[in-house]
Order: sequence, then C-alpha cells, then structure tokens
Amino acid sequence: MANSLGFQGDGGSVLSMEHVRSLTDLQDLKEAYERLCAEEKDVESELLTLLGQQTIVEKKMLALQRMGPNLQLIEGDAQQLSGMITFTCNLAENVSSKVRQLDLAKSRLYQAIQRADDILDLKFCMDGVQTAMKNEDYEQAAAHIHRYLCLDKSVIELSRQGKEGNIIEANLHHLQEAEQHLKVVVSEKFDAATKSGDLPQVERFFKIFPLLGLHEEGISKFSGYLCKQVAKKAEENLQLALGTEGGERRAALIFADTLTLLFEGIARIVETHQPILETYYGPGRLYMLIKHLQAECDRQVEKVVDKFVQHRDYHRKFQQVQSCMMRGSSTDKIEPRDLDPILSEVTLMSARTELYLRFIKRRVVSDFEVGDSMATEEVKQEHLQNLDKLIKHCLLSCSVQELIGYYITMEEFYMRESVNKAVAMDTCERGQLISSMVDDVFYIVKKCIGRALSSSSIDCLCAMINLSTTMLESDFREVLCNKLRMGFPATTFQDIQRGVTSAVNLMQSSLQQGKFDTKGIESNDEAKMSFLVSLNNVEVCSENIMTLKKNLENDCNKMFSQGLGGEQAKAKIDSCLSDMASVSNKFKDLLQEGLGELNSTAVKPQVKPWINLFLSVSHNIEEEEFNDYEANDPWVQQFIVNLEQLMAEFKAGLSSVIYENLTSLLTSLIAMELEKVVLKSTFSRLGGLQFDKELRSLIAYLTTVTTWTIRDKFARLTQMATILNLERVTEILDYWGPNSGPLTWRLTPAEVRQVLALRIDFRSEDIKRLRL
Amino acid sequence: MQNLQVAPVSRSRIISNMPKPYTPEACHQYQTQFDAEVQTVCQQRNAGAIGLKMSKAVMVGDLYVGKTSLINRFCKNVFDRDYKATIGVDFEIERFEILGIPFNFQIWDTAGQEKFKCIASAYYRGAQVIITAFDLGDISTLENTRRWVQDALKENEPDTCSIFLVGTKKDTLSEAELERTEQDAVRLAIDLQAEYWSVSAKTGENVKEFFFRVASLAFEQSMKKELEKNRGNTAQIGVGNLIQLDGNSSDKRENETQLNMNCC
Repeated sequence: MANSLGFQGDGGSVLSMEHVRSLTDLQDLKEAYERLCAEEKDVESELLTLLGQQTIVEKKMLALQRMGPNLQLIEGDAQQLSGMITFTCNLAENVSSKVRQLDLAKSRLYQAIQRADDILDLKFCMDGVQTAMKNEDYEQAAAHIHRYLCLDKSVIELSRQGKEGNIIEANLHHLQEAEQHLKVVVSEKFDAATKSGDLPQVERFFKIFPLLGLHEEGISKFSGYLCKQVAKKAEENLQLALGTEGGERRAALIFADTLTLLFEGIARIVETHQPILETYYGPGRLYMLIKHLQAECDRQVEKVVDKFVQHRDYHRKFQQVQSCMMRGSSTDKIEPRDLDPILSEVTLMSARTELYLRFIKRRVVSDFEVGDSMATEEVKQEHLQNLDKLIKHCLLSCSVQELIGYYITMEEFYMRESVNKAVAMDTCERGQLISSMVDDVFYIVKKCIGRALSSSSIDCLCAMINLSTTMLESDFREVLCNKLRMGFPATTFQDIQRGVTSAVNLMQSSLQQGKFDTKGIESNDEAKMSFLVSLNNVEVCSENIMTLKKNLENDCNKMFSQGLGGEQAKAKIDSCLSDMASVSNKFKDLLQEGLGELNSTAVKPQVKPWINLFLSVSHNIEEEEFNDYEANDPWVQQFIVNLEQLMAEFKAGLSSVIYENLTSLLTSLIAMELEKVVLKSTFSRLGGLQFDKELRSLIAYLTTVTTWTIRDKFARLTQMATILNLERVTEILDYWGPNSGPLTWRLTPAEVRQVLALRIDFRSEDIKRLRL
Repeated sequence: MQNLQVAPVSRSRIISNMPKPYTPEACHQYQTQFDAEVQTVCQQRNAGAIGLKMSKAVMVGDLYVGKTSLINRFCKNVFDRDYKATIGVDFEIERFEILGIPFNFQIWDTAGQEKFKCIASAYYRGAQVIITAFDLGDISTLENTRRWVQDALKENEPDTCSIFLVGTKKDTLSEAELERTEQDAVRLAIDLQAEYWSVSAKTGENVKEFFFRVASLAFEQSMKKELEKNRGNTAQIGVGNLIQLDGNSSDKRENETQLNMNCC
C-alpha cells in the first residue's frame, strides 16, 4: 500500500545517507541540498493529494458496512444449492452405471449371436464343402474353405469346448481334410489344364488359389503357365527370324523386331491378366507376376541376343574395329558405312528394351501405389527398391548394356573414320566462305549422336556426347589448327622465314598424323584462301557446337517429358552438354589466335611501312607547302587507297564477324603505329593543321569500314592533333583540368608536354613552366 | 533433386580447414591450410558473386573392389552387403561448402567389368580427379590400378588430373597384413604421383575423411586455376590500355600488341 502510493523510505530517497555524509565539497553539498529540497517538495505535494482523498475512502467504508447483512443471506442460499447439486450428481451416476451394464450386456449378446452365426457357418461350410467336392464344384468348395479360413480361430476353439464338442471336432477334422484335399485337387487340375493349354480352365483354377490362401503358389503356377506361352511364341518368332531372307524389307532389323515381338507379347499378357490378378488376388501382387515373367523374358532375350551376335558377327566386327582403332590402318579395314545397319539395329534393340522396361516399371509402380496405400513408408520404399533392382539387374538390362558398350566403340570408330574422310575430301568452292568438311563433320557428329539418342539409353547418349566432344576438341580442332599453322603467305623477308618454319611445322604434324597433305602450298593465292577459309571454318565450328548443344538439349527435354530417365539422368546429360559447350570456346580461342597471326603476318608488315611514310612528309611547313599539300595530297589519300586494297581481299574471303574482328585489330594497329610516327615528327603551326586534316580523313574512312565506333581508339591521336593545333602553349589550359568540359583526357601531363614539344615554334621554357 | 539445388548445403558438408592426408609418404601436399591466396579470394567473394564451382571425379578400378560401396557409404551412408555389379555408369553430385563457397563435386562411378569398359571409358574425359580403387585383400587388383590410371589419363589433357589411390575393405585385414600391403601401395602411389588412402566402406573408416580431402584439393586446384586465368586476363587488359610512349624498344611494343590482340 505504502509503495503504491509513492511513499519512499530512507533507502528510497534520491540521495542515501552515506552519500550525503561522504560529501565534502561545498559545491556538491549545495547540489545535494537542492536536490533534497526538491524531493521534499515532491513528497509534500504527494501527501496533500493523499489527504484530499480521505473523504472518498470514508464513504466507501460506509458502503461496505451496509453490505454485511446481505452477505450472510447469500451464504445460506449457496449452501442449499450445493446440497441439491450433490444429490443430482449421485442420481446421474446411478443411472449411467445401469446404462453401462446394459451396454455390456448388449455387446455380449452380439458376440453370442456372432458366434452362433459362425458356428452355423462352420456347420454349413462342413456340409457345403463335402457336397461341393462331390459335385466337383471347386469354386463353391473353395468359397466354403475361404469362409472357414476367415473365421476367428478363437471361435472355433470355443465351439470345441461346447456341449457338442465332439461332433464339431469331427466336423472340423473333416473340414481340414477337405481343405488339404482341395488344395491338392486344384493344384492337380491346374497343372492338367496348363498341360492341355486350356486357358478357361487355367483361369478358373487360378481364381481358386487365393480363396485357399495360396496367393504366391497361385501366381507362381500361373506365371509358369504364362512363361511357357511366352517361350513358345518367342521360339517361333526366333525361328521365323532366322529363316528370313536377306532381301526382305526389315531383314536388317530382324533381331530388333524379334525382341520387339517378345516384349509386346509380355506386355499383352500383363495387359490381359492384370485385371484378373487385381480382382482375385488384390492389388500389389503384380510385382510377383512380373518377377516370374522377367525370368522367362531374360531366358528368351539371351537366346535372341546370342543369335544376333552370332548372325551379325557382332563380336568379330567389334574386335576388327578395335584393332583398326588401335593400329590405325590395318589390313582388313572396315568401311564405316558397312557398320550403319548393325549400329541402327543395336540402338533399336536398346530403345525397345528401354520402352519395355519403362512399361513394366510404370505398371508395377501404379499397382504398388494402390496395394501399399495403407503401408508404412519403409515398406513402400522397400518395394520400389526391389523393383528398381529387378529392372536394373535383370539379364535383359545387362545384355543390352553389353551390346551398347560394343556399339559405343563401333560408333566412335564410325564417327572418327567418317570425319577423317570428310577432312581428306575437304574442298572449298570459289566464293564459298567455308569448306565442305565443316558441314560434313557436323553432319556426321549429329548423325552419330542422334543414333545414340535413338537408343533411349542415357548412358549411351552421354558416352557418345563425350566421345564427340573429345573428337571435336582434339582431333578436329587439331586439323584446323594445322591449317592455320601453315600461316598466311608472307611478303617481306622476315615473313618468308616465318613461312619456312610453319612449313616445317606442317611437315612434322602431318608426319605425326601419318599422312601428308599432298595439296601443300601450291600457290600464294591458294594458300591465302586456304588460311581465310580455315578461319571461317573455325568460327562456324564454334557456332555449330552451340547449335548442336541447344538441339540436343531440346531433344533430351522431349525425351524427359516422355518419362524417360530421372533427375540423375538429367544431371548426367547436363554435365556432358556443358562440357561440349566449353569446346565451343576453345574454337573461339583458336579463331583469335588465327586472327592474331593474320594481323601480325599479313596486315602489320604491310601497314607499318605505309604509316612510316608519314615521316617522309614534312609537317614543318609554311603557307606555300600547305597549299601545295592541299592540291597534291602527300600521304593520307594513298594510305587510304592502300588500306582499301588490303582489306578488300579479306572482306571477300572472311565471314562478316571475323572481318569485323580483323578491322578492329587493324584500327588498333593504325592508331598505335600512327602515334609512334607522330611522336617522331616535328610540326609547325600549319603542319599541325595538316596533321589534323589527315587524321580527320583517316577517321572518316575507317568509320565507313567498321560498324562500331572507332573514335575511342583514336581518342589519343585526336587529342594530340588538338594540341598540335594550338596557337600558344598556354592555350592548352583552356582545355585542361577544370576547363576540360565533356572532354576526358587520355594523355598524361607528361605526354601533353611531349606533344607540345613537337611544335618547333613552342619554346621549351614555356612548356616547362606550364602547370598541368 | 530439384529441391536440393536450392536448399542450403548440408551442415555435414561444410569444410573450412584443409583435411589432413592419410600418410605423408604419398600425398599431394602437406599444407594444413588452404592456399593463402585462395582463402583471401574466398573471403572477398563470399557474397556469391562467384559462379558455382564444379569439379568432376571418375572412380576406376577392377570389378568387386568396392567402388560403388565406397561412394554409397559417403553419399548415402549405407552399406549393402550384396554385391551388384555396376552397369554402365553411375553418377552422384555431392554438394559442399568450402571456405564459404558452394562447390559441386561430381562423382562418376564406372563399371569395373571388362565388358562394360567401352562405355565407361567414354566418361573419363574432363576429369579433374581420378580415383583408382583396389582391394587391400587382393594384391592383383593393386597391380591393375596402374593400367586403370593410364587409361583414364589418356582421355585427359596432361597435368590436369590429380590421382588418388584407394585401398578398400580395410576391415578385412589384420594389422600386420595391412602394413605389408600398404607398403606396396604407397610405393605404387609415389610412382603414379598419387595420394594414397586406406578405407573401409563397411565400417565407414576414413571414408568421409577421404572424400573431404579429395573435394578440398579439387576445390583448391580449380580456384587456383581460375585465379591464374584471371591474372592472365587482367595483365592483357592492362597492357592494352596503356601505350607507353618512352619506348624505343620496339620488341617490347610488339609483345604488347600481341597480347592486346589476344584479348580482343
């Protein structure tokens, strides 16, 4: 109470006693005193308000006293109420306990009725089974047994203890005997029906097994029957296949077709019998059937593959290819084109297998989904894992994978040989920017990867993408690289030397490759064209690789959207494709290398002397010479004409992208070389003007031959021209520093001084005095 | 899988210190820390400006030495007693975070069976890491690793791959047997310029340590390579922009031009 009213004791005061005592300084004491005074005032005002409230408090006390007698009345009433509630509660409990008893009695009664029913059923079953068996009505008998098996075992136990125990015991014994008997009979009948190939009878007994609780046996027996059918059909098909003449339409694909028929047969069996299985055995049992069927399928596939290998000489061809690849050229060289049919057949076999396995997987998974809808996550996972294992490790998968392994090597051989041929037959029509081999090579690569894609096997596709990437990156790039290494024919003495070294390089590289390019360098012109064509080739290759990659991406997405492969397959493909894309960059690098080569061997040696001519034209001129220059241009016009001639050749021979690149290199070169010669010259006032004119014409010309702006490259030169055109040394300050406006100086202050010094009429003291 | 790509890297795959080698006798380097330059770069570019780093490893070796088991122990932490031959090529991506940089480590698991070799060998290219495995209990498999490594190296550019020699099924050997086999293996590893490890996929011994070491070295390697490349580029750009005017030495100028052109 005291605290809530804001009363503060000694300790609660702003200043403690100890604190006050410890004060020695007058200033502090005064301060403390003032604070205590203020506190006192606060306390006083608080006390006043509290005292003001006294009357209200008294009024409230009075009211409370008046309420006293009423409270006593209320207490009495409450006690009475409590008594009543207790009474009611007891009553309710009494009633509910009786209801509970009634409930119990009712459920017991139900149980009794149930048991009586069960016992009656049991009796009925006992009688029914015997009559049904006598009448050979096995369905009826099985239904009775099923009913018996469904009965609660404790019920049967209880019935035995009853009054009629002995009779029931005897009956039960009969029933069990009947059950055993029925099992034997059904088995026998089923086997007989299987033997005679009587499908209705087979199906009839197949339906009885689950009633006897023999699900697995039923499925295993039934699949045994189905397997026999599959085997018979497959045998026929294989014989038929082996009998086909070579000339028939699909003779080249006959083993793939045989395999297809086998798969279709099994798929049809699954289609037709799945409903019966589901109806009589319940969902989730398809896996068992498939497992049995797959075993038979594997056996048949083995036969077909064996015959395929035998008839198509698959292994011998593979070994031949392998030895060809190892030793380069061997005596019995295989013509790649001869491999075409067998490669197509293998990929078709693989594609059919993938399709079939996908079908199986889809069916079983959806069957499991229904069957395991109530099962735990673990059981579901286990089921799916079993399925995956079955599909991945069945003999079918293994043998097809093995075939694909050999296929990959053969396809690689096919690709390499065809590419070698395309390179050997390389021609370039006049007027064409690229030569035939680029289109040919990419046609071949596309064909080979396309064939691998058609196998529907992700591993196969990835392997082929990798092999193509390797081939393009090393072998084919090497071919183009060698062509570029031959160099652009040189003209000056220095470059003849270069030419010799590149010829030696060429010799070495061709010897390493084991063949010699007989074409050689027949004439300068041809060599020039060959170099330019190679440059174009390199560029197109880099583009083609990207196109190829994009197309493959689309193809793969299509494939994935059809449900083939999972996330892992996607990641695999992505990895291989990005690897392929990186090769495109390697071609781009090669292009830059080639351009650099072209620039330094063909452009630079020509352009440099032309620019050096600038030095022979005096820029230390008077009015008269200036006018004379106006009439007879001393340098720049000829320079432009020369450039035009030089570039005309490249413009005709190079693709626009490369030409762009080259002109860009050219303009950089001109800017740099011109800067050099300018710094070696001296200028009068009019000489500066002359230079400015020359530079303007040059820039104007170069702007017409390039698409992007070249002003940037000439910024330094333009600024030099500005400096050389000044009236006085100090005029530079109008353009420098804070006065530069939008102009960004590319010249350092030292360079500005250097350029200023080129003007013979500027005094060096003035230049030195300049504050930049 | 798709979710994984956006999900953060698992806590158990974060590496901030260079893991130790198995034995100093045959290892790629002894440093206990990542390369100082790599560390600074990683700190600077922590924000993710750096592209996703990726390296590829191929696992080769004889059949039944336990290549797939080793990978499964590391990637899924499971061990399947039943032997199932790998068909074709299996593939796992393990996501790491090394020095704060996300790092995808691809592991290509190839089949050891001779009949699947044609297809498997198509996957050797572009690998930064070659892991060759042998069975510590079967000395002939150790001998064969030499050939496996040669085959894998053939498909790659020289000096771009680091090699790891792994002895598997460590749990099946006694101390003395292990010591004897390891001596041979270390000798071969030195010969192959490989780093040596003994592991057991069954007990999991050294499996995580091994892959962490491989991933860390691969990461460091790829970062160094990138740094080198960048250094080359900046040098070129620098030269291209500055045309020095004092130069009478035209040779030097020539060089600069050359560089300048390469970078355009």
